[in-house]
Amino acid sequence: MTDPLITATGDGVPLVVEPNTPPSKKLPPGEWVKANLFSNWYNSLVTLVMAVILIYLARFLIGWAIGVEWQITRTNLRNFMVGGFPADELWRPWAASLLIIAGASLGFGAMSRAEHETDVRNGIPSTKPTQLDLFRRFWPIVLLSIFFVSFARTTPPFIGVAVGIVGLFALREVGWRLPAVIRDRGVFVFAAFLLAGFGCLAGTGGLLAIVAGIIVAVLVSTELGRAGITTRAVVIAGPIAAGLVTYFVLSAIGLEGFGWDDWGGFHITIFATAVGIATGLPFGILLAIGRRSNLPVIKTACVIFIEFVRGVPLITLLLFSSFMLPLFFPAGSDTRSGLTRAMILITAFSAAYFAEIVRGGLQSVPKGQTEAAQASGMSPGAIQRLIVMPQALRNVIPAMVGQAIALFKDTSLLAIIGIADFFQYGEISNTQQDFLGKGLQPVTYTFIALGYWAVAYWMSRESRRLEMKLRVGVR
Amino acid sequence: MRLAIYFVVAAVALFGWRFLRDVTTKRDTSNRPPPWRDVRVLAVGIQVVAVGILFLLGSWLWDNFNTRTDDIGLDPFDFAFLDQPSGISIADSDLNPNSPISSALRNGVKNTFLTIVVGIPLSVLFGTLIGISRLSENWLLSKIATGYVEFFRNIPPLLIIVFTWSVFLTGFPPERESWEIGDLFIFNNKRFAGPSIASQENFVAYRWLMLAALALAAVVWVVRTRLFDRTGTPHRRVLWSLGTFVGIGVIGYVALGQPFRFSTPDIVERVYEGGVKMQMPYAAGVFALTLYTASHIAEIVRGSILSVDRGQVEAGNALALSGFQRYRFVVLPQAFRVAFPPLINQFLNFTKNTSLFVAIGFAEITSISINLFGQSRPAPQILFIVMGIYLTFSLVLSTIGNLINGRLAIAGR
Repeated sequence: MTDPLITATGDGVPLVVEPNTPPSKKLPPGEWVKANLFSNWYNSLVTLVMAVILIYLARFLIGWAIGVEWQITRTNLRNFMVGGFPADELWRPWAASLLIIAGASLGFGAMSRAEHETDVRNGIPSTKPTQLDLFRRFWPIVLLSIFFVSFARTTPPFIGVAVGIVGLFALREVGWRLPAVIRDRGVFVFAAFLLAGFGCLAGTGGLLAIVAGIIVAVLVSTELGRAGITTRAVVIAGPIAAGLVTYFVLSAIGLEGFGWDDWGGFHITIFATAVGIATGLPFGILLAIGRRSNLPVIKTACVIFIEFVRGVPLITLLLFSSFMLPLFFPAGSDTRSGLTRAMILITAFSAAYFAEIVRGGLQSVPKGQTEAAQASGMSPGAIQRLIVMPQALRNVIPAMVGQAIALFKDTSLLAIIGIADFFQYGEISNTQQDFLGKGLQPVTYTFIALGYWAVAYWMSRESRRLEMKLRVGVR
Repeated sequence: MRLAIYFVVAAVALFGWRFLRDVTTKRDTSNRPPPWRDVRVLAVGIQVVAVGILFLLGSWLWDNFNTRTDDIGLDPFDFAFLDQPSGISIADSDLNPNSPISSALRNGVKNTFLTIVVGIPLSVLFGTLIGISRLSENWLLSKIATGYVEFFRNIPPLLIIVFTWSVFLTGFPPERESWEIGDLFIFNNKRFAGPSIASQENFVAYRWLMLAALALAAVVWVVRTRLFDRTGTPHRRVLWSLGTFVGIGVIGYVALGQPFRFSTPDIVERVYEGGVKMQMPYAAGVFALTLYTASHIAEIVRGSILSVDRGQVEAGNALALSGFQRYRFVVLPQAFRVAFPPLINQFLNFTKNTSLFVAIGFAEITSISINLFGQSRPAPQILFIVMGIYLTFSLVLSTIGNLINGRLAIAGR
């Protein structure tokens, strides 16, 4: 096949045009209908039958949605969103969401600017994405927020969602215009806001301090790299020292917050997904490397772990976490938090699945790459880090987003071991005195389905977008 | 302490073996790198360390486990509880609270198996239909199929299952006001029932006869295919083998004096008579999981058809094959080879997803085990058994899949 031509569309996403396909003709409406709906007798029949089914279905669904009692979702909106989070501390989740949105759109603006600059430098035509392009990418999330807030009974949620949506679009613009020094560190801007948001929720101790320490260490290490410092002592000791200092400072400040056992609803569904990805991916990469290693002991251990975890349903792993995991800790250790126990098993679960994806990526890197690197005298570690991994991971990014979506859907199983996540409130709300025995499950589950659907659909669109973009990068 | 000694012994043995080998085999060692840079030494060293860490971690966990189970008076190797009464009764089965736990678990396996056997073919059928519809030149049909896939792929299967169940529960009438379609089907929010075959005299003999007929039909199929390969006469193998099967069936039916009759379901005094019945949760679960899995299979089917090179279709066109022939003899055989491995993966997912039926109270293996946990039966053994069962299912399915996949690959290039 001939090489694809690369052109640019409005949002700066290069579009692949196969040169040997004829240009698509724009038909006038009459002819279009004839060509696409009534080209021959059976097509006409299919069109008619489908149209009738569609109209009946739409009429039924609209009639149902108008006729049914939505009071149950209105009453339980807060439960669906944050579960049993203390009511007079609700500023925390709000602040967290707004901070995270702010960080995401700042970082997003900065990163798309950086991408744009790279494209321009490489001679790929690229223009600044418009606000409409942004909406085209984020509409499932924006509409979902509006849908959720339409059930609110007080004013603050409306203000919060409005601020969030305006912030998403406005701060992207700010991010685009940030000075190059900050812009090139867009990921860290995002991480800082993420940590601030998380701090609002959970305080600054424990996990937050650890994560912040790791991020600062990575930041320092990349900065040292940029500054061209290669003294071994500095490169190793600097990041570690910076990370430890951050950890101790944050732990010492010790702002109070609410641990995740007080969280619930949509809030915890999103959080469990994020943690599952963030912890599962590094372990997954290690497992994948281990599985491809030619050291028999390590290889066997990795294969057994991966195949075992992938061979049993997630529920059995979660049952393991709630019934058996405490037995593996010494008497007297604190294993009360059901969510912490579940997250340990979810990490193992997603690590095993990520490992198989990464393994696929590793296999797709030609052997010549490793051999060339070996010939030029690189150490095994450097070959993995600088040559093999970047190519392998780039090849499987879409598959990893797919796994992230699967994990997001799978967190609904937390409900089965009694963790009050988004899904669980579909049942809980139906056991409340006002709604008991009224058969309102279809209502609450519709509400929940839309929540899951919007987020997962948005992720799958992003993954498709990434796939298109990465295909362009392939030489 | 004992563990540490084991570990040291193991390490010494490994290194010693290597050392002995190096000493006994004569080799020029003058330009060997120092041991800490020698790949061969490092490989052993890393593995010894890895084994050590795994071993220490494992023994720490194992010690804890033993101490804790001792504390609560539980013997994790005692499987005698399997003979105690289960306290579980499953509707439409002969399982009562007095039957042993082992038979409850067996019943769970049977129910899981039943969902797989019915659900997977249904999902393949439906998914293929949707996948082909997505490629249809009819704009409306392909858009509807796309909408279906995008909808069902992006919501959790657990939600689809519970939603379907709740819709069935509120949508179908209670048992007293069952919907009946003719005399053939009964629908209510407890059970669905349909017509079936009831055995009469000589039914066992008839079943053997039909099994033989099936084998004979297969032989006829092969013979006709071979004949076609040799001489080129039209094989008409579908017609031939179907004819064999049906012919033997009809002759046997007459000769054995009507070994079966059709039986239609009926509710007499809240008891179902005749026909075949299933519990509503079973129907809802299989239905829901089929919808979900079909959306994934549809994408596999679509992708595999698109993966067939356009030149193949054009070549088929140039040979004046009809649209059907082009699909049947050119596109589908090639697409199937691409689709098969991910399809097996979906079958495995279906199998694992049947564990979600626990949420709607269908007595498959997971919900039986949760029920047993609720009666504080020993969790370690039960989980061990349940995980083992799922692993067996996965292993059997993927082995079959790999066998077929191997044959497909050989048949090709």
